[in-house]
Order: sequence, then structure tokens, then C-alpha cells
Amino acid sequence: MLDQFVMGLSVALQPQVLTYALLGVVLGQLIGVLPGVGAITAISLLLPVTFHLDATASIVLLGGIYYGSQYGGSIASILLNLPGTPSSVVTCLEGYPLAKQNRAGLALFVAATSSFVGGMIGVAILVLAAIPMATIAVRFGAPEYAMLVILGLLAASLIGTGSQLRSFAMVVVGVALGLVGADATTGFFRFVAVRELADGISLVSLAMGLFGVSEIIRQAATRTAALNTPTIQMRDILPTRTEAASLAGPMLRGSSLGSFFGALPGTGAAIASFMAYALERRVSRRPQAFGTGHLPGLAAPESANNAAAQTSFIPTLTLGVPGDAVMALILGALILNGIVPGPRLMVDQPQIFWGVIASFLVGNIILLLINIPLIRLWVLLLRIPYQRLYPIIIVMICVGVYSHRTSITDVILTLAFGILGYLLKRYRFELAPLLLGFVLGPLLEDNFRRAMLIYRGDFTVFITRPISAILVAASVALVSFAILSALRARRKRPKPDRAERTT
Amino acid sequence: MIRSLLTALPLTLALALPSLAQTYPERTIRIVHGFGAGGNADAVSRIMAEAMTADLGQSIIVEARPGAGGTLASGYVAAEAPDGYTLQLMVGGHPVAAALYNQLPYDSVEDFTFLSTIGQFPFFVATRAGRFASIEDAIAEARANPGTIVIGHSGVGSTQHLTGELLDLQTGADFIHAPYQGGAAASTALMGGEVDLIIDAGTVIRGQADAGVFTVLAVTSGERWPDAMDVPTLSETVAPGFDVVSWTALGAPAGLPDDVVATLSGAISNALAQPAVQESITALGATPAGSDGAELRALIERQIAVWTEVIAAAGVERR
Repeated sequence: MLDQFVMGLSVALQPQVLTYALLGVVLGQLIGVLPGVGAITAISLLLPVTFHLDATASIVLLGGIYYGSQYGGSIASILLNLPGTPSSVVTCLEGYPLAKQNRAGLALFVAATSSFVGGMIGVAILVLAAIPMATIAVRFGAPEYAMLVILGLLAASLIGTGSQLRSFAMVVVGVALGLVGADATTGFFRFVAVRELADGISLVSLAMGLFGVSEIIRQAATRTAALNTPTIQMRDILPTRTEAASLAGPMLRGSSLGSFFGALPGTGAAIASFMAYALERRVSRRPQAFGTGHLPGLAAPESANNAAAQTSFIPTLTLGVPGDAVMALILGALILNGIVPGPRLMVDQPQIFWGVIASFLVGNIILLLINIPLIRLWVLLLRIPYQRLYPIIIVMICVGVYSHRTSITDVILTLAFGILGYLLKRYRFELAPLLLGFVLGPLLEDNFRRAMLIYRGDFTVFITRPISAILVAASVALVSFAILSALRARRKRPKPDRAERTT
Repeated sequence: MIRSLLTALPLTLALALPSLAQTYPERTIRIVHGFGAGGNADAVSRIMAEAMTADLGQSIIVEARPGAGGTLASGYVAAEAPDGYTLQLMVGGHPVAAALYNQLPYDSVEDFTFLSTIGQFPFFVATRAGRFASIEDAIAEARANPGTIVIGHSGVGSTQHLTGELLDLQTGADFIHAPYQGGAAASTALMGGEVDLIIDAGTVIRGQADAGVFTVLAVTSGERWPDAMDVPTLSETVAPGFDVVSWTALGAPAGLPDDVVATLSGAISNALAQPAVQESITALGATPAGSDGAELRALIERQIAVWTEVIAAAGVERR
């Protein structure tokens, strides 16, 4: 396997392939920075270009845009609390408080290195375990997905930093928003006020509105002065030795979760980053530090979304089944090159398979090398007065959202979600659980109902299928653990706990 | 007198128009389609856009307006000016939508000028290797155990779904039709053993079939398909007369002037004659096939009738 990877490296280091990798990741990085413009828009625009490239160069270029955008997505999240992509929403939670403490350089450094670690672990899994991972992915049927989502929702109910009840309420609102659109099982239109909503509310408009537009409204309403002149000394960018040491665990956990979710078709980088954040809070000795600029809470999701971006190529390259829309686009480029994607790709076209994977390694290194020096430049962005910066950003968000589906309805909704997000923030409701409910709710409904349809209403499938049974057991364990630790905490120190809640 | 003047007026206008329109095209042309970036419709649009650009001497851009089974794009195009600068890449879902949706803001036939088909493609019935030896076995088992054999399809109301329902109606078998988010997800479910059969286009099935993971049992076209002559048709095996072929085509808003139609039709057939275009369309699993507008219109009218019947008989919920 390693000799094949070395062969792949020789393909990836050919000047032409290297050029496309560089072009792809730089473009991806830029697109990730722009709020609302996603990798999918960029890739579809570049698809005709790939008619003139060979298959390897096409995938190297398009793939580079995809994982490059995961690096770029964190930048605006940290500096301005504006997620560039839905998968960098959680990056705001710890990244932005750090920027407010004048530690934006450090946050960007940690985000870049975590992304790099996640990307490299993802590539390593792609090289060493693509086939076994694909085999597991195929075993995930409707019952497994349904139980996985339940486990995820349970884990995520701990994601909020404030009241559990408020956090739960937000999950419910998210699930409710996720119900809009044609019912996936019967096709019945639910809450389709205008025909543009037939396929549901777009994740991009919800994420950009709730997190991006609302932040701009909040800044305008509070009229805070611009941040202090940011420091851009190299030593302020680097974490201390203790800080660095505390990040190894979160990065590894984030990368593992990310690699797992990435390989499952239908889930992806956004879910992976949420789960990594929830897990980190769960295992942390200082859960109360989350939300205040806690570095492990930044490192874990950043590793996760980049690992997921790499492993999402597993089903695409080994089985020929794309896990999401971006992967479908990339497969489209292969098909147009006359290559039939499928299990035989690895055997018949090893130079493509291994060349592409090796280029991911090269691409991640390029991304790290361009990101570290750029940190100083990005931090300078904060010197631009808000009243100049924000109008530009609002326009960019609108253009980005419009470009997704060429839909004005999406733009109006984005602005409306901005107002909703502002009001929710103002009354101390957290937005991350809402977004998670929105992503996971429909996934749960779809898979649960499909399971009931296929297994003719037999509830025992959830515990008779081995992977599903393990997931059920994990959910039960999680709930019992939460109840036990809550009871123990109450017995130990009932008063400070209550005091904390009310302040 | 006045009446005859009034009737003459449009006539003189019509006579005057060709001289105006002879300059067509003088600016950028758009091809609108109603599906996701990178899908079949998007790829065909981009292939045609590129191939027709040279002939028409104007750049052609592709605009995706995805949503509601492609009906948002159709509604948008139907309301645009018939000046030849807005075209639509239509797919076999156009007649399906006419049958499936209750209140479309357009008439699927009368509000469009039909130009030409681009490519035609059948669907294949595939199973996991070893599950069924033949389509006859699959139907026999489904008849013997009603409501146990599962067909995975790419979404409620998709052409693939309705093709499966049509199979129920024509063979008397009672399959479970399980919806997935797209053909790739259904195909993963077939690999994992969650469903027993899938019905989808060659591009979705071929990679797995070549690797021996899937066995292709039958093709939905009335005659055997040129690219897959060894695959029996449903018609010759279990469902005499079964004939489902999907397609891609170019259309425009109703009332496109005749000379613009002629210019565009010429550009389309020149594009389809290019070997590179033929190769790309074949790579997408279709057989390149041009037609005239009347043939396309007749095809669409015929398919609307078929799908309306299937939807009513199968009890698929109209929306």
C-alpha cells in the first residue's frame, strides 16, 4: 500500500498536478473566507474548465477547493464572528471570544494547525483504511443512521453554555425549521408558503442569517468601538507550551470523530464539527470554560471538519458513491473524463486514485505554509472600522446566498434569520443548538421513517442489528452518565451550582 | 375595416420582425435548468453551452435554479421573454412534474417552445450480485411474498420512483418503494443489503456493475439499448409493452420567432454532430439524439399522459 502511495506522490509532484493543487487550495481558501459563498458554487463554476483537464488534474483542482475552503472558513468566524461555511459555525463559539481578548492571532494559528492535523489524519486514514471504512459506511442503513442521530442529539444537548432548557428549546426550533419543505417519505408539502421552499430552507441561508447577519445587527445596535489595535507580533501568535500540550487530545479526538463522520455518506463536515465540540465539552475537566475562548473547544471542531473533508472522499473514490453534493460534482468531473467511478477505480486507475490522495497530502502542507504567514495580514482586517466593513460583508453574504440556488427568497430569508438571530442572542438563547437541530432533525425523520417502511414497522430492528444496538447502548450510557453526574453534583455543592445558573 | 386593420397589424409586425431578428444573437444567451450543480442536467447544459458558443458567436452561460423537482426553473423560463436569450435544459422530469404537481404556475406544453432533444437514456433494474439471478426471479419472489421486496429509488415523485410504481402496475407484483436522497444513496443501500433492487440510470449503476457488485437484470426501454445489448428489456421478460426512456432536451418560452428557432436548431444539431459532444453525452450514460420541436412536444405530451395514469393508479400523493 505504501509503495502505491509513493507512486501516487510521484504523480502529485508532477509540475502540472502540483500547479492545480496549489490553484485549488488557494481558491478554496479564498472562497472559505467569503461568507456565504460555498465550495459547491466555486466547483460548479469551474466544472467546464475540467473538460480540458485530465481526470487527475480535475479532481486535484476541485478537491483542493473543497478542503481549502474548510481552512478559510474559520478566518471570518474568529475575526468577525461570521462563519464562512456552515461547518465553521462552531469555530465562532471559542474563536471570536479569543479575538475579543486581543488573541486573534493565536486563535488563527490554532485553527490553522488544528486544520492541518485534522487534514493529515484524514489523509492517513484515506491511505491506510479506505476500504475498511467504506465497508463500515455501507453497513450503515436507515436504523443505524436514525440511532446515530439520536446519539448525536443527546450529545449535543450538552453543547450550550447556558441553561439546558433554553438549549433544548433551540434544538426544537431547529427541528421545526427543518420540517419545512416536501416530506421525503410521501412528497407532501409541509409549510411551503412559497414554491421556493419546496426543498426546504437552505442551510446556508439559515447559518449565514443566524450567525452572520445577526452579528452585524448586534454590532450596529451596541455601537462598540473597534477592537484595540491588534497585535501582530509572532510571539503573540504562538501558543505557550502548556497551551500547546493541552491541544493534542482535542485535535486527536476531533480528527477521529471527523474522519468517522466524513466517511459516512449523508453526514459531513458540519455535523462532525458540532459533534467534536460537544464531545470536547463532555470530556473536559473545565466545561465551564467553554464559550469564553477555550482553545481545546477551537482545536477539536477545526480538526474535525478538515478530517471529514478528507475522509468524505472514501465512499466517492472507493465505491463511486458520492456522500454529498460536492462529492457528486467531483464525481461528475470524473465521468465527463470518460472514467466510470466505482469499486474498480482503485484497481484500473491506480495513478488517479493514489495521485489524488497524495495531492491531498501536498495540498494540506501548502495550506499550512500559506496560512501561517497570512495570519498577520488577516488580523489587520480588524483595523478596518466596522462601519466600512459591515456594509461590504452584508452585500457579500447576500451575493453568496443568492449564488447557491439563484433564489431571491433565500436572500430575504437570510435577512429575516438575521433579525431572528439577533433577538435570540439578545435574550440569551444559543444559536448553535438551533442549527444542529435543523441539520439533524430531518436526517432523523428521514431515516427513522425509511427504517419503519423497509422493516414494516418492526421496532426491534434498532436493537437486533449490531451497529444500531451499539449506538443505542451508547445513548443509554450517555443519558445514565449525565443523570448520575448531575445527582452527584447536586449532592456535593447544591448552592454554587444554582447561583451560577441564575447569574 | 377596423377589424381587418387590427388583424393585419400583427401580420405586418410579424413581417417586420425577421429583419430585426436576423441579428440574433447579439448578446449573451442563458441556459437555465432546475437541478443541482454538477448533476446530469447541469453537465449536459454546460456541454451544450460550450459547443453552441462557437456556432452562435455569443457566449452562453448556464444558470441553475434548482428546486421543487425542476418546476421553479420551468416557471421562471415560461415567464421570460421569447427572444432566444433564455433557453431551458429540460429533462424527463418535465412531464413527470406536469402529472405530479397540483398547481404549477405554467402549462407544461403550451408555455414552451420545444427545440430539440439532446440525448435519450433508459433506466436499468439492478440487484446486488447473487440476490436474484434474473428479472423473472425477482418478479416471481415479489408476487409470492407481497410487500417484502424493497426497491430503493432516488426520491418520491422522481422518474425512477414512478418507473418502479409502473413495474408494480404492469406485473401485479407488490414492491416496497423506499425513498432515498438521490440515486447514490439508494445504490449504497443496495450494496449494504437494505434494499433488494434499484432502478436508475446507467451512470449510477455502471461502476458497480463493472466491478461485479451489482447484477443488471433488465432495461426499461421498449427495445434493447445499443450500449447494453446483452441486457433484456422488461418488455420482453415480465412486462410486455413496458417502455420508459428519459431524456434531456432544449426548450424556450412559448412564442419564439421562427427564425430564432431555426438558428438555435441549427446550432444544436451542429453541436450534436461534434464527436467531442457525442463522447461527453455518451459518458453521461445517454445516446446523443437530436429531434425537431414537434417530435419533442409529442414525446412530452405522451409522457404526461403515462405518468398521470401511473400517479393515479399507484396512489402517489399529488402536491
